[in-house]
Amino acid sequence: MADILQMKGLTKAFGGVIAVNELDLEIHEGEIIAIIGPNGAGKTTLFNLIAGVFSPTRGQIFFHGQDLAGTNDYQRARMGIARTFQDVRLFGNMSVLDNVMVGLHSRSKYGMLSAAFRLPQGHREEASIRLTAINTLNLVGLGQRADINASELTFGQQKLVSIARALATKPRVIMLDEPAAGSNVLETQEISDLAKRILEMGITVILVEHDMRFVMGTAERVVVLDSGEKLAEGTPSQVQNDRRVITAYLGEQEDQI
Amino acid sequence: MPHFIRGRGKMLAIATLVVLLSIVPLLGNNYYTSVLLIIGIHAIVTVGLCLLMGYTGQVSLGHAAFYGIGAYIAAILSKTYHVDPWLAMVVAIIATAAFAFAIGFPVFRLRGNYLAMATLGLGIIIWILFRELDWITGGQSGFLDIPTLSIGGFAFDSDFRFYYLVWGFCLAVMFISQNIVGSRMGRAMRAIRDSESASQSLGINATLVKVKILALSAAYAALAGSLYAYYVGFIDPPPFGFLFSIRLVVMAVVGGLASIWGAIFGAASVRLLTEFLHPFGDIDVVLFGLIIVVVMILSPQGVIRGLGDLWRRISRRLTPS
Ligand SMILES: Nc1ncnc2c1ncn2[C@@H]1O[C@H](COP(=O)(O)OP(=O)(O)OP(=O)(O)O)[C@@H](O)[C@H]1O
Ligand SMILES: [Mg+2]
Repeated sequence: MADILQMKGLTKAFGGVIAVNELDLEIHEGEIIAIIGPNGAGKTTLFNLIAGVFSPTRGQIFFHGQDLAGTNDYQRARMGIARTFQDVRLFGNMSVLDNVMVGLHSRSKYGMLSAAFRLPQGHREEASIRLTAINTLNLVGLGQRADINASELTFGQQKLVSIARALATKPRVIMLDEPAAGSNVLETQEISDLAKRILEMGITVILVEHDMRFVMGTAERVVVLDSGEKLAEGTPSQVQNDRRVITAYLGEQEDQI
Repeated sequence: MPHFIRGRGKMLAIATLVVLLSIVPLLGNNYYTSVLLIIGIHAIVTVGLCLLMGYTGQVSLGHAAFYGIGAYIAAILSKTYHVDPWLAMVVAIIATAAFAFAIGFPVFRLRGNYLAMATLGLGIIIWILFRELDWITGGQSGFLDIPTLSIGGFAFDSDFRFYYLVWGFCLAVMFISQNIVGSRMGRAMRAIRDSESASQSLGINATLVKVKILALSAAYAALAGSLYAYYVGFIDPPPFGFLFSIRLVVMAVVGGLASIWGAIFGAASVRLLTEFLHPFGDIDVVLFGLIIVVVMILSPQGVIRGLGDLWRRISRRLTPS
């Protein structure tokens, strides 16, 4: 299978703290891959590097074989790299539907002049933006909540809206940072199903998650990070039985599993 | 009515229009007409500031500078260079917007308090230029005998006539702004205000959006500034200084930062208060500081919204359950 993303010697240092260290990693097109690791392992930092929020201290990231150096976050979003945030970051003073419609910003183009004088081009695009956003919202099961303020949703629902918002950008790959955190068993199952549906839409899924049952039931491949380094890589069962993983990561959290 | 006048603002707009047009004949050509006219001019600047501060979440404490640049360009071109006043106004608007666009990129590297300081500083620098470049601006003694606007043989040479001109522009600016706020662009603005990083993660170039809105609000300010110059026929630096920048912020806050039509209310409140307190000098500014604090604490959505909420609460109390 072709690689959609390739990390080569990827390193990110914050002063003395090396958050990601000489990481070599390939993400295959059309897979669900989970990145796991203890707190502070560098998972979110890896997402931020791929998304273009941080530039690497050393090393490279390739997207469809193209070096991403010199592109920033909004450009990468337009190239097809979408992400959600560990702390959600919805647009709290906007409706749920508006949140998703913002996701379609870069997939539409009518400008300030069309808007100011309500020219027909803007009208047409706006109608299609609205329709696509409603469909995307239905996909995550929140079509009924379209008109309420995003801040009125439960935390779990907010996470779903942030996924819908990211999907609205029509990505090739989506990075989900702890999508099931703070969700109950039922919601966690729904998010797992959603991840698989996203995959069926032809979008590669990278997820970071602490909930092991979720990871094992969702991902086809797992990468374990520890102190910014790749500790192990393989199928969920291979990783689960890896000695180093058990001592470094699973061991310390045994009672949570 | 042009087809772009539609949507939520329509009823409000018509109501405002009817009230404004019907009270003027009662007032005639006098002091009150001129106060209402100035309110219209200030409302144009305030709407722009609402777009920038309320919708996009970017502070400007130097907006009087754009107002002044517009006024001086229109005045200098039409008087010194004998350019047609309408053309001079168009040039003033475009030049001021272009200037705002250019300074926008370095300025928006800053956020929050630093942005506030930078815009404050810029406003002061430009104000000093108005004062010191006296061979073009007339310096402290001012710039006299600015021609007025006319269409064919019809000159806007009375308060009464100019009043309609100003409010015509003001309402056009209101509709345009309302439409922008409800568009793709408006969504991007609000997204940036609520979470800049999330907006960028969705493909929005936040800096570019901010710069465009700064330029648009500068264009509004320049429109208002040139109208002011043509109306008064004389300009000097004081109306374009730091105090006016602060008054503009108060107008935006009182009207509701994220409210287009509230700008008229904000501009009216501040202007009327300034008129009342005129005998006491600049004491109004002290009061405005207080007003900002009180409004932000009690009703951050603006005074009209606050009163609406209060009314709903009272009427709910009064309805027997
Ligand atoms: N912007 C930053 N500035 C300085 N240090 C940072 C920054 N972001 C992350 N770090 C540091 O980098 C290391 C990795 O952090 P990161 O957020 O990537 O961990 P994580 O694996 O996502 O952890 P968690 O499971 O708690 O979310 C930590 O030591 C963290 O303190
Ligand atoms: Mg994290």
